[in-house]
Amino acid sequence: MKKRPHIFTRLLGDSKLQPFVIPVFSVVCSLAAASIVLLIIGRNPLIAFRSILQGAGLLPRGSYSAGKGMLTDLLNTLSALTPMIFAALGVTVAFKAGLFNIGVSGQMLFAGYIASVTIGYSDLPAYAARPLVLLIGFACGALIGALIGLLKHRFNINEVVSSIMINYILQYVIGFFILTRHIDPVSRQSVAVSAAARLVPQSVHYGTLKGDLPLCILLAIIVAFILRFVINRTRYGFDLLAVGANPKAARYAGIRVGSTVVTSMTLSGALAGLAGVTHYLGYYNSIQPKSLTSVGFDSIAVSLLGNGNPVGVLFSSLLVTVIDKGSTYMSSMVKVEREIAAVITGLILLFSACGAYFKYLAERNQLAATGEPANSEKKDDGEGDA
Amino acid sequence: MAEQEYIAEMRHITKRFPGVVANNDISLSIRKGEIFALLGENGAGKSTLMSILFGLYEPDEGELIIRGKPVRISSPSHAAKLSIGMVHQHFRLVENFTVTENIVLGLEPTRRLLGLLPYVDLKTANREIAELSRRYGLEVEPTAVIEEIGVSMRQRVEILKMLYRGAEILIFDEPTAMLAPQEIEYLLKILLSLREGGKTIILISHKLAEIKQVADRCAILNRGKLVGLFDVADTSTQQMASVMVGRELAPEEPPPPMEFGAEVLRVDKLNVLNIDKFPVVKDVSFGVRAGEIFAIAGVDGNGQVEVADAIAGLAKLHSGTITLAGTDITGASIRERTELGLAFVPEDRQSTGLVLDFALDRNLALRRYYKLPINVRGVLNNRAISDDAVGLIEQYDIRAGRGGATQVRSMSGGNQQKAIVAREIETGAGLMIFVQPTRGLDIGATRAIHRHILDQRALGKAILLISLELDEVMALADTVGVMYGGEMTRIAPLSDLSYDEIGAYMMGVGNSAEVTE
Amino acid sequence: MDVVIIDGLSYALPLLCIAIGGIYSERSGVTNLALEGLLGAGAFIGALFVAFFGGYFPTGSLPLMFIAMACAMVGGALYAMLHGLLCVKFRANQVISGVVINILAMAITVFLTRQINSTLFKSSDKIQLGVSPRFDVPWLSKIPIIGAVFKSVYPFEVIIVAVVAIMWYILYRTRFGMRLRACGDNPHAVDSAGLSVQRTRFAAVMISGALTGLGGISFAYSISANFSSSIYTGAGYLAIAALIFGNWKIIPTVGACLLFGLARSGGYRLANVLALPSSFSDLIMILPYVLTLLVLIFFSGTNRAPRALGEIYDKGKR
Repeated sequence: MKKRPHIFTRLLGDSKLQPFVIPVFSVVCSLAAASIVLLIIGRNPLIAFRSILQGAGLLPRGSYSAGKGMLTDLLNTLSALTPMIFAALGVTVAFKAGLFNIGVSGQMLFAGYIASVTIGYSDLPAYAARPLVLLIGFACGALIGALIGLLKHRFNINEVVSSIMINYILQYVIGFFILTRHIDPVSRQSVAVSAAARLVPQSVHYGTLKGDLPLCILLAIIVAFILRFVINRTRYGFDLLAVGANPKAARYAGIRVGSTVVTSMTLSGALAGLAGVTHYLGYYNSIQPKSLTSVGFDSIAVSLLGNGNPVGVLFSSLLVTVIDKGSTYMSSMVKVEREIAAVITGLILLFSACGAYFKYLAERNQLAATGEPANSEKKDDGEGDA
Repeated sequence: MAEQEYIAEMRHITKRFPGVVANNDISLSIRKGEIFALLGENGAGKSTLMSILFGLYEPDEGELIIRGKPVRISSPSHAAKLSIGMVHQHFRLVENFTVTENIVLGLEPTRRLLGLLPYVDLKTANREIAELSRRYGLEVEPTAVIEEIGVSMRQRVEILKMLYRGAEILIFDEPTAMLAPQEIEYLLKILLSLREGGKTIILISHKLAEIKQVADRCAILNRGKLVGLFDVADTSTQQMASVMVGRELAPEEPPPPMEFGAEVLRVDKLNVLNIDKFPVVKDVSFGVRAGEIFAIAGVDGNGQVEVADAIAGLAKLHSGTITLAGTDITGASIRERTELGLAFVPEDRQSTGLVLDFALDRNLALRRYYKLPINVRGVLNNRAISDDAVGLIEQYDIRAGRGGATQVRSMSGGNQQKAIVAREIETGAGLMIFVQPTRGLDIGATRAIHRHILDQRALGKAILLISLELDEVMALADTVGVMYGGEMTRIAPLSDLSYDEIGAYMMGVGNSAEVTE
Repeated sequence: MDVVIIDGLSYALPLLCIAIGGIYSERSGVTNLALEGLLGAGAFIGALFVAFFGGYFPTGSLPLMFIAMACAMVGGALYAMLHGLLCVKFRANQVISGVVINILAMAITVFLTRQINSTLFKSSDKIQLGVSPRFDVPWLSKIPIIGAVFKSVYPFEVIIVAVVAIMWYILYRTRFGMRLRACGDNPHAVDSAGLSVQRTRFAAVMISGALTGLGGISFAYSISANFSSSIYTGAGYLAIAALIFGNWKIIPTVGACLLFGLARSGGYRLANVLALPSSFSDLIMILPYVLTLLVLIFFSGTNRAPRALGEIYDKGKR
């Protein structure tokens, strides 16, 4: 108690700076850790990180093949960014309600698959197909989310366990249908969806360059702002936050905790569904059977890093997507396996998870500074001579 | 040699917490074999001082001398080595362990299976505990599981825990807070017999009568300072009381007589089951009229809280009906009840009454945020939330560093409770339920809450008060219902009941049977 | 029938080992959703030993396998320290920590497996282990029907049975076990008895890692015959379901794991008997997961988790 807080803790502990300092700290720590790994295997981390930025289209590469340029890479990154934002927003909504949606990948797969077989394989024109794809994605994700929410509400099943089980079930069942009905014998993926249904038109001309047109990125950004408004300024947001912060008090206040759990999980699933269609019918145009995309898991890191703030999520999504997108190029430039991107993301996640500790330190520091005795310190003490 | 007279001495102890000096230069000497009482209001520094002796805190200044030797007590286990033991106000027992397992935890006797594999020898342990319990007259069932035994036996288990560790200095932190009057008598007898057995006892309390009854000497703390040290035999309780509070304290005025109005709440044959489907409220029926304070008295865990929860809609009822202002609310949702005029100050302010991570203004809006003027077509009017908060903070004297934006977590218990009371009163409900409204509050805060309750009564509200403090029931109630074992065993106007009579009903013995405990 | 029992046991026992790891952690009060990651990390360390030193042993060598198992236990325990550190020291949300540990384990083990393979062995993305040899228990395996239990037994099954018995004894009969269980119910009682809650919980989480690592390498030596990302099949989560089903007690959890194992092998057998095409095996694959959900639907409500599970214990609070 008497020890003066370390400068380091003070910086991290300042409650006003916290939302910025902790994520930056997490990122710096994980990059430092990754640098150590790179140094151990004899690679130059600076070159590695530069090539990540080059690969993601944020820095120019040394050379480009015909019709490609930095813009091409950037547009490609943006079309990968879209599902990441949706997915991370999904995770964030659940977090706010005190829930952990680790089933985003499964919800994405389900939404992507249903949208593919219904709209993707139809010959609807683009103006009808694209909105329908989004709508179906939204609905399918919502369906799975609602199921997880109901299992939690009705049967008290931890949402982490149930969503993992549902992930596996969807992965195998959808894999089975793809393998038996929709398999492309050459690519060993599902048959490609029609160009009209695809949310990211390909090979659009930008002057001399050709590249993707990531249509939904704007939608993703708008959704982030809407979500922020819903959470902070609406009655539903109040319910959601109260349930997340203290379900007992929420119930006491007359909030229907169960239905809030179900609706928030449904909303979370719906956003994951949007992530699914922008991934499988946007960034890609087919589904690899029997596998789940890592986007769903990375989105957890993104959400934690974004500190539960939908707008913060926009920035953290960009960071994680850049690391992921740039890793292929980095892999070829510095001869290191591209899976290091996942390791970096994992490390970011690890350091972000310690955020609660920094907040705790901050609370203690605040105490020392203001002299206001925190009541939680004597919660059970009845008397509480503080 | 004179030093030897004292088994424990505290010299110039000072302990600071951020913003507070909890103990300010306190010096005390405790004689071997005496019952030494430590008296003071909530927040006076008693628990901190004893926590220092028990090794939970280290003092910032001053020294401890145990049996003539200066020591630094670094942890409870170190204290145990110096044969200092403490019974905390909230028991520290493992619920799914037996009595014996709890007592021996940390000092388990072991044997070796086939001379090889060590195991905890519960058979021997059970025997030892039975023997120990006989020696000190502390009746316990060694093989009973804690979750199945009552408060009084749990406390005896805590005492045996200390004795098993060979404690010579026994610290009791508010040991009578959770007990019925007759159980208190029994405990006080135990204390006397422990003293007889040569133990030194430090008794933390704010109940003067008990101190007068058993203690040899008494130290009084006020705001962290030692303000008095008396031989109990030579001092009147009035003297002690005025020193404790630091001023002459007028006794609380009894509530003025009221004309009761129509019945606002009617509870009929209420039955509630707990999670294990075990009945915790059995066929309870009563009514509360406008302008009446109906107090439910009882020892903790006899179904009172469940009655309140069932009325508020927080607990599911198994059978029975509840009527509020003529409307059957048996199956109504919590919000419907709020709308019909039910306000509720819950037992646990931190886990139920407040969202600690929310700002004060949002907590004050917790009962109203869904209505106009705050909720305008689904969107919250933040201005309305903060304006309301400013008004309530002012009106109810809620002290919060940053006004409505203060995180409730950082507020003191008294101010948290004021915030809840303010919010509930502001609902304007015809029925107000208070569960343990003054638990853990100092006299000032307690009196403020009592005034609010009486003001509401004067306004003609029906009030249901649930309190474990019999004194509080006696001070406020118009009508008393006593609960024991889930049943309401007696309902009568306060004027028809004596303190001892209520105590007997709280023990489940009525006024005919003898108290056996 | 024999096949069902033989395959069922060889799946159920590693699962049980993992589930008991989970019980140790959760009975001490630390929620452990990290089992999936722990089993991968443990198996990876075991496989790493084989990758580097396997050449010095004859093929199919039993000592090699035993050493690999020991390494897996050590690896699992060491990696579990991370969960312990996050939950016990850094006050992280235990659920989040568990999931973080899983994601990180997958990332690191897959990355390292590839990196090591490509730089040192110039081979694929797997570490080959081969399938462990099996044996029949003399006499006992001749008994009709029940004899199948003793037929084609993997050595690790014997080890696991022994480990389970020892772990049962430790949890319910020894001082350490008693204190561990106390930590999960009321840590304040443990603290006031002069024992360290933090240390006990930390130890419990490490034991959890060791047992889970053993379970993980057993899977690697039987089902997949190698170490690769295919080790992550959700067995860690199945184990969690099993221990909830078993009400956080060892003996009922044994039953839960046997049920899962036999359902799985029974399903495969059924597909075999009905001569379904191989793609249908994917549908059979979902059996354990569906079963888990059903089990949870029926038992989650009635079962009681340890009272202090998931609570951050803060000594300073008192």
